[in-house]
Amino acid sequence: MTNAITEIRDAELLFVIGSNTTEAHPIIAMEMKRAVLRGAKLIVADPRQTWLGGWADLHLQLWPGTDVALLSAMAHVILAEGLQDQTYIDTHTENFEAVRASVADWTPARAEAITGIPAADIAAAARMYATTRRAGIYYTLGITEHTHGTDNVFCLSNLVLLTGHLGQRSAGLNPLRGQNNVQGANDSGATPVFLPGYQRVDDPAARARYSAIWGREVPADKGMNLNQMMHALRDGDLKAMLVVGEDILVSEPDVAGLDRAVSELDALIVVDLFLTETAKQADVVLPAAAFAEKDGTFTNSERRVQRVRQAVPPPGQARPDWQILAALLERSDVEPVRGVATSALTPALIYQEMASGTDKFAGISHARIENEGGLQWPCPTADHKGTDFLHQGGPMRGKGLLVPVNYRPSVERPDADWPLCLSTGRTLYHYNVATQTKREQGLLDRHPGCFVEVHPDDASRYGLHDGGRAEVSTRRGAIEVDVHVSQRVQTGMIWLPMHFSEARANLLTIDAGDEVTGTAEYKVCAAAIAPR
Amino acid sequence: MPDDARKLYRAERDVGPAPDAPSTLTVHIDGQPRTAVAGETLLQVARRAGCDVPTLCHDERLQPTGACRMCLVESSDSRRLVPSCRHPVQDGLHVQTASARVLRHRQALLALYAADQPEQIVPGSELEVAMRRHGVAEGVPSVTSARAGRPEDQNRFIQFQPDRCILCARCTRYCDEVEAVAAIAVGHRGPETTIVTADMRGLLDTTCELCGGCVDTCPTGALVEKKAAPRQMELASLPTVRTTCGYCGVGCQMDLSVDRDKGQIVRVQSPPPGTTTNDGNLCVKGRFATGYVGHPDRLTVPLLRDRATGQLVPSTWDEALDRAHELLVDAKARHGAHALAFISSSRATNEENYLAQKLARAAFGTNNCHQCAAT
Ligand code: SF4
Ligand code: SF4
Ligand code: FES
Repeated sequence: MTNAITEIRDAELLFVIGSNTTEAHPIIAMEMKRAVLRGAKLIVADPRQTWLGGWADLHLQLWPGTDVALLSAMAHVILAEGLQDQTYIDTHTENFEAVRASVADWTPARAEAITGIPAADIAAAARMYATTRRAGIYYTLGITEHTHGTDNVFCLSNLVLLTGHLGQRSAGLNPLRGQNNVQGANDSGATPVFLPGYQRVDDPAARARYSAIWGREVPADKGMNLNQMMHALRDGDLKAMLVVGEDILVSEPDVAGLDRAVSELDALIVVDLFLTETAKQADVVLPAAAFAEKDGTFTNSERRVQRVRQAVPPPGQARPDWQILAALLERSDVEPVRGVATSALTPALIYQEMASGTDKFAGISHARIENEGGLQWPCPTADHKGTDFLHQGGPMRGKGLLVPVNYRPSVERPDADWPLCLSTGRTLYHYNVATQTKREQGLLDRHPGCFVEVHPDDASRYGLHDGGRAEVSTRRGAIEVDVHVSQRVQTGMIWLPMHFSEARANLLTIDAGDEVTGTAEYKVCAAAIAPR
Repeated sequence: MPDDARKLYRAERDVGPAPDAPSTLTVHIDGQPRTAVAGETLLQVARRAGCDVPTLCHDERLQPTGACRMCLVESSDSRRLVPSCRHPVQDGLHVQTASARVLRHRQALLALYAADQPEQIVPGSELEVAMRRHGVAEGVPSVTSARAGRPEDQNRFIQFQPDRCILCARCTRYCDEVEAVAAIAVGHRGPETTIVTADMRGLLDTTCELCGGCVDTCPTGALVEKKAAPRQMELASLPTVRTTCGYCGVGCQMDLSVDRDKGQIVRVQSPPPGTTTNDGNLCVKGRFATGYVGHPDRLTVPLLRDRATGQLVPSTWDEALDRAHELLVDAKARHGAHALAFISSSRATNEENYLAQKLARAAFGTNNCHQCAAT
């Protein structure tokens, strides 16, 4: 997020796209509702009628996967009507002409034909956004879990740069991170392209920095992202995997093919709390500690590094991941933290080593968080207060790059055999693959198992009734679920939550991924439905 | 686009953001001059000055109602005591927060509240703290209220104990104004007045999202976490640990009350409003879904696949770590570093993700390191 969560309440306009905020980020949704109660305008763009959509001044119910068309048309309206902030564009951005050209023929009428949103609403949204000063954009997986996820994000950042809604309170571009520490996992370098602090692996200077810290050469090879790993796994090119705390056989797209590929690995090592589907296939299963059983830090969506503290001991012999990983490092003759005996290792020392190689976190330490509470990076020195909103006085990288984007339809669209568009998502009462939440009866009371949302028109077309059972199938597999007949979805689309290992939504989803991030297209594939 | 609206907007932006600093005034609190900002309440200024003014129906996040009368003070603009939680500051006001008259009122009012409660007030509740700090007038006989309850509610998280309710309406205002689902309301009449749901249904059959914010804001313990209810009287004496929620990316801060002997989390509360990003709020998962932590399904020993039987069998840590290491080294020797993949977790800590990529890069020489849901 470019801005802090507490700034939301002071916003004058919120543009929420691809985020079912009330269910996926309830606390952020509270802040949004608070802003609306204080008079902020709200625009919600989502294929489903979400709860927050009911609060919106404008609810743009677009066809799944057509975000680029919607956002291009909004940019078109802004430029056609001269609502852009030309001074900001001239001083702080590059590539304006290319973007102007790329949206030139994206009239709202053309976008209406693709997105299904009335042209007048698209134009109204563009005007509302462009002419409100403290206007913030909020998005989540509804934007990124597409083959064109990166394009979607570029479109959004174009809107921000064209209007100059950046570098001030309550504005900006704000991805709401899904899992608790997505931000921190990326910050810490658990990605093939970046070392800690977003220093590129292909930058020799960055490699030299950590090579010096570790006393080991940082490899220069081009690593695989998760989507590429899953492809390599299917193709038999991966031979050994270490999986920490993820049930890839439930969470990854098109899991049917993966089951077999995983069973053919030479080595699978799983570190987890439970004997998950993935752990059942492993050669070695290492029992891990839960968040309340260990020390460390998480970094939230607003880049705030906060402490995780041990409250209770892990059960039996379970150990925190950091101890397990340290033991493996030691066995490879790499000191987990240079110059520190493993017996003296603490999460504070691990953090210190990580921070020593990047200005972004150099001023952050466990000791400071202990005294001052969570700190937002960038925080380059021990006397720096941290940074609540980014890009004050112009974009951080010097000039904000405007990126022309071409609309590309989703990879798999409905056809005669697979007539429906299937989208997947999350509910308030469960979390990811529900490894944790399905062990809480009070949550199961609300959502005991998997269900599919079907529009009443489609329900009657396919002979389904509310409370009945249905088989949902795609080219990749089929699952059986409860039917919820609901106006929340559009005709021609169905939606189901991805939480349940008994009915794995990801037997259905397509493993096509975004070229840049490797994030899979969980949000759109073609499906059929029949009563059971 | 209406042209004048556009011009207006431009004009507004050209002069920069509207000045955020409103005019300041002076208020005399217990004889000391204090600066205040127009729009503030006497309570806000008094608390900033360090005065101990008790409140029951007040919550910074909610519109003040002045229902409980606990916060009454003397103010030079009124002959009667005024509820400081909703009394606006004015320049030059003289306010007494601890005069004999105020103290008399406070102790008498606390006596009335006490008389209407079951014999033991919930320790650590705002009511009990106020009684301890300000004293209770003697001689008020206890009364039995006829407050109606709700029929047994099937939800597993929230319990309502009508005999402890003082009708401060914090829970219902929270449910309306913050969670904004309006699942509960003040209902019935006269002595029967209580907290109701539509048709007195159980919370699971209402719009309730089980956020539990009503429990956290309740000043008497009339609302309590169901699982912790049997131990309600000892909750305040349990040690608490401040940590960060392990679910979504908001990173709510939470205080876990812990039973150290049993190694259990007894309940989860939000830190007070205004102190952390989550501003006193938590969602249903953060507050109530910690059951997995001590769940019997948890793995408690390392497991190794037995080469003969193909089954996973318990092992020691050393055996398991040696085998894990050996398998990775073997695979690298036979197929090269690019045939290895390290999948870390966006639920693990920063330190753990750092070590995971260090393991991939420094120990095994590959950049094949990523995590799930890398949004
Ligand atoms: S738990 Fe939340 S939603 Fe339910 S009644 Fe209480 S405040 Fe309202
Ligand atoms: S239940 Fe608690 S918060 Fe609600 S009105 Fe009664 S005392 Fe107040
Ligand atoms: S706190 Fe002011 S009247 Fe209740």
